[in-house]
Amino acid sequence: MNDRRYSVRDIPRREFLKAGLKGGAILAVSPLLFKGCVSGKPPAAPAIGLDDLNKVIAAALAKGGEFGEVYIEHRISRSILLEEGKFKSAVFGISQGAGVRVISGDKTGYAYTDEISQAKLLRAAEVASYVARGGKSVTPVDVKEEKRPSAITVKVPLQDVADEKRLEIMQRAHDAALSYDGRIKMASIDYYDEVRGRILANSEGLYLSDELPLLFFIVQTLGVGNDTSHMGRERLSRHSGIEMFDEFKPEDAARAAARESIVMLEAKDAPAGKLDVVMQNGWGGVLVHEAVGHPLEGDNISRETGVFVGKLGRKVASDKFTMVDDGSLPGFRGTTDFDDEGTQMKRNVLIEDGVLVKYMTDILSAKQIQADRTGNGRRESFRYFPIVRMTNTFIEAGADKPADILASTPSGLYVQSLSGGSVNPTDGVFNFTCREAYLIENGKKTAPVKGATLIGNCLDVIRGIDAVGDDLDFGPGICGKGQAAEVSAGQPTVRIRGINVGGSRAGR
Amino acid sequence: MDTKAIAEATIKTCLQKGADAAEVYLETSRNLSFEVRKGELETVEEAAGVGAGIRVFVKGKMAFASSNDLGEKALEDAVGRAIAFARITTADPNNVLPDDKGMTEVSGLYDPAIAEIPMDRKIELARTAEKLALTDPRITKTDGARYQEAEGEITIANSSGLVKSFKAGGCGFSVSVVAEKGDQKSSGGEACSRRFFADLKPAEEVAAKAARDAYEALDPRPVKTQQAPVIFSPDVARAILGGILGAVNGERVLQGASFLEKKMGQRIGSELVTIVDDGTRAKGMASEPFDGEGVPTQKRVIVEKGILAGFLYNTIVAKRAGVRSTGNASRGGFSSLPGIGPHSFYMEAGSAKPEDIVRATKSGLLVKEVTGYGINPVNGNFSGGASGVWIEDGRIAFPVKGLTIAGTADAMLDGIDMVADDLDLDRTVTAPTFRIKMLQIGGE
Repeated sequence: MNDRRYSVRDIPRREFLKAGLKGGAILAVSPLLFKGCVSGKPPAAPAIGLDDLNKVIAAALAKGGEFGEVYIEHRISRSILLEEGKFKSAVFGISQGAGVRVISGDKTGYAYTDEISQAKLLRAAEVASYVARGGKSVTPVDVKEEKRPSAITVKVPLQDVADEKRLEIMQRAHDAALSYDGRIKMASIDYYDEVRGRILANSEGLYLSDELPLLFFIVQTLGVGNDTSHMGRERLSRHSGIEMFDEFKPEDAARAAARESIVMLEAKDAPAGKLDVVMQNGWGGVLVHEAVGHPLEGDNISRETGVFVGKLGRKVASDKFTMVDDGSLPGFRGTTDFDDEGTQMKRNVLIEDGVLVKYMTDILSAKQIQADRTGNGRRESFRYFPIVRMTNTFIEAGADKPADILASTPSGLYVQSLSGGSVNPTDGVFNFTCREAYLIENGKKTAPVKGATLIGNCLDVIRGIDAVGDDLDFGPGICGKGQAAEVSAGQPTVRIRGINVGGSRAGR
Repeated sequence: MDTKAIAEATIKTCLQKGADAAEVYLETSRNLSFEVRKGELETVEEAAGVGAGIRVFVKGKMAFASSNDLGEKALEDAVGRAIAFARITTADPNNVLPDDKGMTEVSGLYDPAIAEIPMDRKIELARTAEKLALTDPRITKTDGARYQEAEGEITIANSSGLVKSFKAGGCGFSVSVVAEKGDQKSSGGEACSRRFFADLKPAEEVAAKAARDAYEALDPRPVKTQQAPVIFSPDVARAILGGILGAVNGERVLQGASFLEKKMGQRIGSELVTIVDDGTRAKGMASEPFDGEGVPTQKRVIVEKGILAGFLYNTIVAKRAGVRSTGNASRGGFSSLPGIGPHSFYMEAGSAKPEDIVRATKSGLLVKEVTGYGINPVNGNFSGGASGVWIEDGRIAFPVKGLTIAGTADAMLDGIDMVADDLDLDRTVTAPTFRIKMLQIGGE
């Protein structure tokens, strides 16, 4: 049982799956342990002034410590489900809370409270300061408000949208899915939006606040054939107002899901064994998110447990491979302007032409590995302290033409889309489940095959990438590392030589 | 805090504001967790929290709102939000609440000692586990040892007159380490969680398992792509049970999104396969006196000697199916609607010894880790990554890594031909060691 596995999912677990989590490792102590989910309205700003925050930070550092921080959050969320032709449920969430963090050497103390009052914050500061007893100490700098430019623009704020508009968007997707093909027997439309308000203040004198809108729209369609069924899906997600649906049409998402459901009804058994794999552009970038991104996170580097420890400046991948994490892509799901520690998000090239040039960091790991802060300190909510996370992670576009990549592959597997997967960051062994895949025969995409697993070692994969297309695209997802983070992953069409494919039919 | 009074007052507010029926789910909790690495305390987290989930029904339409502020004003606001939101959903005659006032007697859910035990003793437990896991010379690095505890109270009240609450808690610890040899790295981890602090396994046992998992995986050798018997260790029970869980979800069954949809009363596996869902076991980590909407929990046989015998239901889905709720309403916390989920979901023990199963296997795979989504509950297809050890002539020969295994639920359940006696009910989704007589393995 390895409790250090990182995973990524394409869709949130629905209730019936969530219950499966009960069996997890330690977090399964009782249902109470489920740290509550998403919610929260930024009502009026809490009655906590800058002076009050200075006092809380001073209290946090009273016993020692080099860094003290207060994080205040409000969240309001709406989630609506349209399934089997009915608007089955509508869920409204309101939550607010604050966390106080102290860093002393390699140690972190954290306490949070649901109630945002000076008394509760001081109490949290006292608890968080526990780890700093006897450590080195600093005098905090008084906080000063700062404004930063934003990569997130909103035309129609989610707060101003009438619920009828949300229903209409969902209904359009539902109808488009069912009218795609008579074999689509059910459509399930999950609509989610939230507005998260953040206030950050720390002992370096930083004070920042903002409000982040987020939309997540998931279409799932059930295709039923003579002897099998397949659930297809498509997702849209942006930090945006409701105008996201003008650019990304709900009908298109629905037809994409329905198309997959129907095509996969004809899927044959996938082959087993080593195959060359061509991965279509888009969400497939999640493979390098898992296989390469997680091992490049600064916390794994500082613990000296990851596969990329000591490899900075070295050639680790093929010449054609450049990998980037960029939290400043406008409106993208992984973009949050400044991260949850106040560091501005930016474009970070991690591997350039095959050479490892940078690790991703948060404040703590940047100090530990003596690197710059890259803007990758993120947290799921005030109930968690920030850790190193990816944002929008992708393989940079190359010069090859996607059609040529396929045509020059005599046989193998063409992966049109992946579900999710996971990696063990220590040994670098990753796995992925194909959502839609085809055999490649004589340089052509032929029969669809059932959801096979791809498995391999991250170093082998990035050395084995020998063709990189010019068609970079992205998809949205949820990354899990003890806490959830909104991410996107992207790639152009690429070819990877010799990946182990787990089908149920003996290979050639 | 008088949570029952708050819950009942909130129900009244719902009815006054126009709900025809309402339910309030209240949660109060306290938790503590920390991590020790290289003998030093590295992180400490502590918090207490509250939350309310309010479900309302207006002319058969359902909506829900949650708040983590239990003040009167905040709850009234949440009630208003829920009722306003009910305007937009579709009326459904199946939208009903339970009225069963009973509670299943389940002992040992709350250990008052956990909160009393001094912090230093808990830190010492984690520190010892880490130190012991590092004693073997093959273990070179530590990924830390963690301790976590939580306790709290759940209260449910609804407008059918149901009001009940229970207190529960638990604690656990885990350790992860890395073994190295040349350029190779291999990780191992083990966790133990219990309702009572005194029931936790000794640090030695957890440490030894973590270290063994790490160093036993060193020097893996390749194997050819082939069909061979595969033995599943208890650590990977979820790979097979997870998909079955999804497929016996009563709502999926009604939607036609389950490969078991038309199989009730039919054979779906070999005679050795009996699967149980139990919410009643004393001290069980997944036990509770009532489910996420207040229905008493049960112990039920889901698959009996290979024959499918039961699905899982909450109240609304049960009404739709024309049956009674099975006490399987599950909540992901106060901020979500009740869905459908298991309690302790396990395959019953057989009579073989695990070592007998290895001995009876001429050439095959013993899997200790399976990655991926497990069995697809919609169509029963299975494919996953696998690592473990290879068996030759009835003996463990060498470690293997980066393999795949694949098949279908039908063939896998039907192919179970040996089941061991090593069932550990302190895990929540679990099985004893068992063997599937033939499965496709992907390798070189």
